Amino acid sequence: MAIELANIRFHYPSQPDYPILDIPDWSLTDRERTFIHGPSGSGKSTLLGLLSGLLRPSDGQLTVLGKRLDTMNGRQRDRFRAAHIGYVFQQFNLIPFLNPIDNILLASRFSNRTSTVGLNKEIKDLLSELNIADTAWSRPTRDLSMGQQQRVAIARALINKPQLLIADEPTSSLDTANRDAFMELLMTRVTDNKITLLFVSHDLSLSHYFDNVESLSDINRPAGSE
Amino acid sequence: MLAKLALQSLMDRKGSLALSLMAMTISIFVLLAVEHIRYQAKENFSNAVSGIDLIVGARTGNLNLLLYSVFRIGSPTNNIRWKTFENITSSNKINWAIPISLGDSHKGYRVMGTTADYFRLFTYGKQHHLEFSQGRAFAQMFEVVLGSDVAHKLNYTLGDKITLAHGIAKTSFSMHDDRPFKIVGILAATGTPVDQTLHVSLQGIEAIHMDWTRGVKVNKSTLNAAELKKADLQPKSITAFMLNLKSKMTTFEFQRTLNEYAQEPLLAILPGVALSELWQMMRVLENTLLLVSALVFIAACLGVSAMLLASIRERSREVQLLRVIGAPPPVLFFLIELEALLITLLSCVIGIALLATCLTFLQDFLISHFGIYIQSNLLTKNSLYLIIAVISTSVIIAAIPAFSSYRQASSIKTD
Repeated sequence: MAIELANIRFHYPSQPDYPILDIPDWSLTDRERTFIHGPSGSGKSTLLGLLSGLLRPSDGQLTVLGKRLDTMNGRQRDRFRAAHIGYVFQQFNLIPFLNPIDNILLASRFSNRTSTVGLNKEIKDLLSELNIADTAWSRPTRDLSMGQQQRVAIARALINKPQLLIADEPTSSLDTANRDAFMELLMTRVTDNKITLLFVSHDLSLSHYFDNVESLSDINRPAGSE
Repeated sequence: MLAKLALQSLMDRKGSLALSLMAMTISIFVLLAVEHIRYQAKENFSNAVSGIDLIVGARTGNLNLLLYSVFRIGSPTNNIRWKTFENITSSNKINWAIPISLGDSHKGYRVMGTTADYFRLFTYGKQHHLEFSQGRAFAQMFEVVLGSDVAHKLNYTLGDKITLAHGIAKTSFSMHDDRPFKIVGILAATGTPVDQTLHVSLQGIEAIHMDWTRGVKVNKSTLNAAELKKADLQPKSITAFMLNLKSKMTTFEFQRTLNEYAQEPLLAILPGVALSELWQMMRVLENTLLLVSALVFIAACLGVSAMLLASIRERSREVQLLRVIGAPPPVLFFLIELEALLITLLSCVIGIALLATCLTFLQDFLISHFGIYIQSNLLTKNSLYLIIAVISTSVIIAAIPAFSSYRQASSIKTD
C-alpha cells in the first residue's frame, strides 16, 4: 500500500472538540492514480498536509510508503518528505528569483541524495524532456509563463524520484490548452516513473485521467457532518 | 546552495538591501575609524618615546611638556637657561642628555635644534635607534637632517637648500631667508613625530637668530660665514632636555631634585607617567566615542533586522515552499542569519575600503594639524577583534527575524 489511514483524526490544539478530519479507514495502492474532489473547507489541504508530513495527526495511524508518519518527529518527517514525496501546488511552486535549474537543485538539497555528480545534467535532461527551452533555464522563474512554471514545478517534484506525488489543484491557474498539456505530461511522467499520484482538484472534468475518483466528503466524517 | 539562495534573495530586494548596506557600512566605518584612530594615536604616542627616563623643561603642566617636547604639539611656555642644563647634566647620575630647542618651522613642519648625539642616543618604539636612509648627521652650523615624511612630502633630496621660518605657524612672514640650510641627511621612517621634524644644530638655531630681538628681525644680517664661525654661538637657552639615568632606581629621587631646583623653576616628568595621565584624560572621551559608535552600529543592526523581519512576512510562500521540499525550520532560521551575515560582511568590506581610502587621503592633514601619523593599514589585531565583534553582534541581533522565520516555518501547513 502507498497510503494507509486508520482512525485518523486531526484537530487544532485550540479546538479539540472540532476535528477537521476524521477518517476511519482509507488507503491507496502503489502506483494508483487517485483524484480527490471536495468543496472548499472540506479538509483537502489538511489531508495533504498530513500525507506529506507537514502536519501530524491528533490520533490514529498514518502510514505512507510503508512508514508510520504519526510516530516520526518533525525532522524525520521533513527528511521523509524530501526523499520520497513530490509536491506540486496550484501556484507559487517556485522561488521566483531563482532560475529553473536552481529551483530544482534546491529540492535535491534536502533529499537523501548522497552524490551530486551528474545532477546538473540530470536536471537539464529533465527540463528538456518537459519541453522547457534551454533559453529559459537561466532566467528567473518569475519571467516564465505560467505553463512553463508548472512544468518546472513537475521537474522539481520529480528530481528526487519520489514514490508519491501530491498535486494540489495544479491546473487551476492554467488555461484549457495548457491544462490539457500539463495533465498529459504529468500522467506520462507518473506512469513512466511508476509513481503513486494523489491529485486534488475542484475540476471534475479532469477525472477521466485517473484510476480512482473519490469525494473527500465520503472519506472524511468529522463530528457534526452528518 | 543555501548561501546562493540567501544572496539571490537579497539581490531580489535591491532597494532595501542598498539602504541596509548603507546604514551598516556607515556604522561600521564610524566604529572602525574611532577604534583605529584611537589605537593608532596611542601606538604613535607610546612608540615616540623610549629609553628616556626624564624630560625636563620650564615649569608648566606635565602633559604640555610631554606634548611639545616629544610630539611637537602645542607650544613651550618658556625656555630654560643653558647654564641650568650644564649644571644638571654634570651630575654623575646621568648617562646621557639631549637638549632640544624648538620655535622655528619649515612649511608647517617643526624644526628642532639639538646636538649630533641625538641621532646616536635617541631611541623610539622598542629601543630602536634612528637610522639614516640617506646622508649623515649634521656637522656644520647650517646643515639640516630631515625626517622621512618631510623629505618625502616636500620632495627634498640631499644637497637641497631650505629656509626656516620663525615661529611654528604654517604660513609665516618672518623668514630666516638670509641663512639657508643645506640638507645633509634624511632619516629612515620611524612612524613617530621624528618623521615630521627637521633637525638642526643648536648653533644653527643661535646663528639664524643673531640679528633678532624679541622675535623680530632687526635688519638684514651683516655677518658673513667667517664672522659667524667666530661669534659666540653657545646657546643661552633651550626649550627642554631629555635625560637617561645610569640607574633607574634614582629616577624619582632625581625628578624630585629637579622639581625643587632652586636656581630656576623646572619641571621634570617621567614620559610613561605623563602618557598614562594623557590616556586617563582621554579615556572618558574614547569610551564615549566608542559607546556612541557601538550604539550607531546596533541601531543599524536593528534596521537590518527590521528589514529582514518585514521580508519574512512578504516571503511566507517562499517559506512554505521550502518546508514542502523538505527544509526543516532550522534551515529557515539559518537562511535569515545568512542574509544578515552577508549584509554585515559586505558592509565590513565596503566600510574597511572606505576607511582605508579616507585615511590615505587624510594622512597629511592629520600629520600637519595634529602631529598624529595614522596608518591606512587597518589589518591590526584590534580591528580584527572589532570586526569579529561586529559580525557576532549582527548575528545575535539577526536572531530576532531568524527566530520569527523559524516559528513561521514550524507552524506552516499547506493551504
